[in-house]
Amino acid sequence: MASTLKYVRVPPNSANLEEARKRVFEFFKTACRSIPTIMDIYILDDVAKPSELRSTVASEIRKNAHVTDPKVIDMLLFKATEELSNIVEHAKQRHHIIGQYVVGRQGLTQDLGIKDQGNSNFLKNFYSGNYF
Amino acid sequence: MGLGQLASRALLRSSRLTTATRTSHFLRTIVSTPELHNSEAAASQSQPEPDLPKRIPVGGARIHFPNPDDAIEVFVDGYPVKIPKGMTVLQACEIAGVDIPRFCYHSRLSIAGNCRMCLVEVEKSPKPVASCAMPALPGMKIKTDTPIAKKAREGVMEFLLMNHPLDCPICDQGGECDLQDQSMAFGSDRGRFTEMKRSVVDKNLGPLVKTVMTRCIQCTRCVRFATEVAGVQDLGMLGRGSGEEIGTYVERLMTSELSGNVIDICPVGALTSKPFAFKARNWELKGTESIDVTDAVGSNIRIDSRGPEVMRILPRLNEDINEEWISDKTRFFYDGLKRQRLNDPMIRGADGRFKTVSWRDAFAVVAEVMHQAKPEEIVGVAGKLSDAESMMALKDFLNKMGSNNIWCEGNGSNPNADLRSGYIMNTTISGLEKADVFLLVGTQPRVEAAMVNARIRKTVRATNATVGYIGPAADFNYDHQHLGTGPQTLIELAEGRLPFCSALSNAKNPVIIVGAGIFERKDKDAILSTVEAIAKNANAVRPDWNGLNMLLLNAAQAAALDLGLVPESDRSIESAKFLYLMGADDLNMEKVPDDAFVVYQGHHGDRSVYRANVIFPSSAFAEKEGTYANTEGCAQTTVPAVPTVGDARDDWKIIRAMSEVAGAQLPYDTLSAIRSRIRTVAPSLLHTDEREPATFSTSYLRPEIKEKMDMAPFEPAVENFYMTDAVTRASKIMAQCSALLMKK
Repeated sequence: MASTLKYVRVPPNSANLEEARKRVFEFFKTACRSIPTIMDIYILDDVAKPSELRSTVASEIRKNAHVTDPKVIDMLLFKATEELSNIVEHAKQRHHIIGQYVVGRQGLTQDLGIKDQGNSNFLKNFYSGNYF
Repeated sequence: MGLGQLASRALLRSSRLTTATRTSHFLRTIVSTPELHNSEAAASQSQPEPDLPKRIPVGGARIHFPNPDDAIEVFVDGYPVKIPKGMTVLQACEIAGVDIPRFCYHSRLSIAGNCRMCLVEVEKSPKPVASCAMPALPGMKIKTDTPIAKKAREGVMEFLLMNHPLDCPICDQGGECDLQDQSMAFGSDRGRFTEMKRSVVDKNLGPLVKTVMTRCIQCTRCVRFATEVAGVQDLGMLGRGSGEEIGTYVERLMTSELSGNVIDICPVGALTSKPFAFKARNWELKGTESIDVTDAVGSNIRIDSRGPEVMRILPRLNEDINEEWISDKTRFFYDGLKRQRLNDPMIRGADGRFKTVSWRDAFAVVAEVMHQAKPEEIVGVAGKLSDAESMMALKDFLNKMGSNNIWCEGNGSNPNADLRSGYIMNTTISGLEKADVFLLVGTQPRVEAAMVNARIRKTVRATNATVGYIGPAADFNYDHQHLGTGPQTLIELAEGRLPFCSALSNAKNPVIIVGAGIFERKDKDAILSTVEAIAKNANAVRPDWNGLNMLLLNAAQAAALDLGLVPESDRSIESAKFLYLMGADDLNMEKVPDDAFVVYQGHHGDRSVYRANVIFPSSAFAEKEGTYANTEGCAQTTVPAVPTVGDARDDWKIIRAMSEVAGAQLPYDTLSAIRSRIRTVAPSLLHTDEREPATFSTSYLRPEIKEKMDMAPFEPAVENFYMTDAVTRASKIMAQCSALLMKK
């Protein structure tokens, strides 16, 4: 029922960094274009806004922004495409999407806390537990 | 024969292998020695058997030759061993590395010789001899693995098991039972007993020792322990033959403070720990070597834990401090670690009730209040169970905030921390054994430091030392002279008006022990000055012997005085606006003004918590790695045995985090960093297990105090032996003991 992505083929290896970069941006556009379908499949209207999902995808990609090896980027793109096609063809369920992409580590309210900013490592570790 | 030759052949083979690998493959050196040339001469020479693996003394045995010319040589299984005169055959075999099975022999008790398990064959003796009782004569040839010795052991084992009940599945000693181990190693495979076994009625010895007297093998170790080491003649053997029973003749409980040690001593499951009954098997438990903090002795213990729970506490061998014994309080207070624990930071709300908050909020509140208080209104008190690292952190933090009002409980208002010899036990605990006259001033060692008392008793018993005691009427388990009850007696002693003075001056090694209860008195300096005068008259302080000692009461006192926790003024509590209590429960909370803000950092909700405004939960001694200095000044570290409870943190970590939130961040982040800070203040606290003898003695350096002493008699420092600090007060077993075993 769900539209399978047209790009789910093993892409040839990127020759250099620019080609890998181009591929990353193509992937990002594909993902953003499938967001309305995803929201329809998993009924995320009350839980998330499309802009929030877009920024989540962007932050996931940005997490690997430090990678420079084209082969590694290809591998990451392969996994990302696989994940996206899983989501689009309804192989996952609503709670997976909500837990992995809507809700962050600290709960529904994503606090990139200013309260922990000036603290030393010691204090940060102290607040999390006794053994550090 | 066979084993020796096999071993020698193995040695030669291995040596050949090593030489082969060392030399290169191309050149093969031909080694030839003169001995190899004349083979007949070599054969005629008596070659000693290539030495078997060197015999190391077994069972912790050590030899000391008081007179090197007096050593005799005996042969154990053909192996010659040199021993000092007076050793028994069993001890000689231990030195030679042969462990002889025994039930009734214990190295620290007198010899009974009634179990007969230690029988060995001695040449030229018609029957096997009890090695624990037979003195080793020069030239004796002892054989421990002959058929006769083996048959003797099997026979003894068979007899012992005849009347022993089949209780292994329900017996607590299973897994650590001498009878089980020795029957597997030395017993025969089957018994021949088909009649009915006898049974014995159980005796009630109190809430600590569980007795199943049917299992008793009548080794009399408990009887000998009670009479010799504990000094109470509670236990005895009644009846004869197979009707023998160990018990108290009249129905009484074992009230001695060392009564728990009979549990370790009993080789079978006849005397076991009542609180530990049916709780765990010994192979489930993880033993952690740690230090006891209930009193200032610092006995070495092993904390047996299963998961997050402490199941029992056993003694560890330390010849210098507690030998192999621990007091009842040390052994049984562990269940207080599970009750009434603080596990979350709490703030007292406007309605007077405590509310759980997060660490961030608690720190924020405390930091705000702290900045509003003036430096001289900030007061810190360290508790009895605080370790050196946390006291260092507290002192540094309060000093950074501008306050110098910090002290440790039990040290009194004006502690004299300038000379170390003024607050530690200068004759070390093991040095007490060399003394011949004791003078106890205002201290009842039986309730204050049970291990020191055991050592004094050992000396009194061995050398008939004289003991003089000044203080309230108290129970002693050795002969003593009650000289008086107050400072008046001290004056008389200093002036030489009592007959005890002649005993003191004639003594070769006099020891004066002053109790730390004196610290709480107003006339403490005058009293100590009089004691120093007595010490000078008795020549107790010499370059080779320092007999002037203080017996401290808490585990934290010595380290606190080493680190310099001395308050600026002794009236600081009455004018305090901010009070930081680190486990301090014996403070008189009436003196705290009503508008003072009290922060309590501790692990048990004991007395001071009821007045606190903010609670910081911290970890107990069994959950943290802390350095404690005992009354001799010997630093020892505890090791965490169980994880911390709830949201609790280590003491020094809380203070370090608090300091950061308050803006006065302390410069250390890790345990090693805080230890290097301690190194700049009191390096002796980091040399664990070493005692630094004091260089200067107070008796020659302190000026004489001309003040008058207050003639009030000395008060007992410890009212209830079983309930002295936060953990023991929370313990159910200690409550039972103090209800049943305290002498009214």
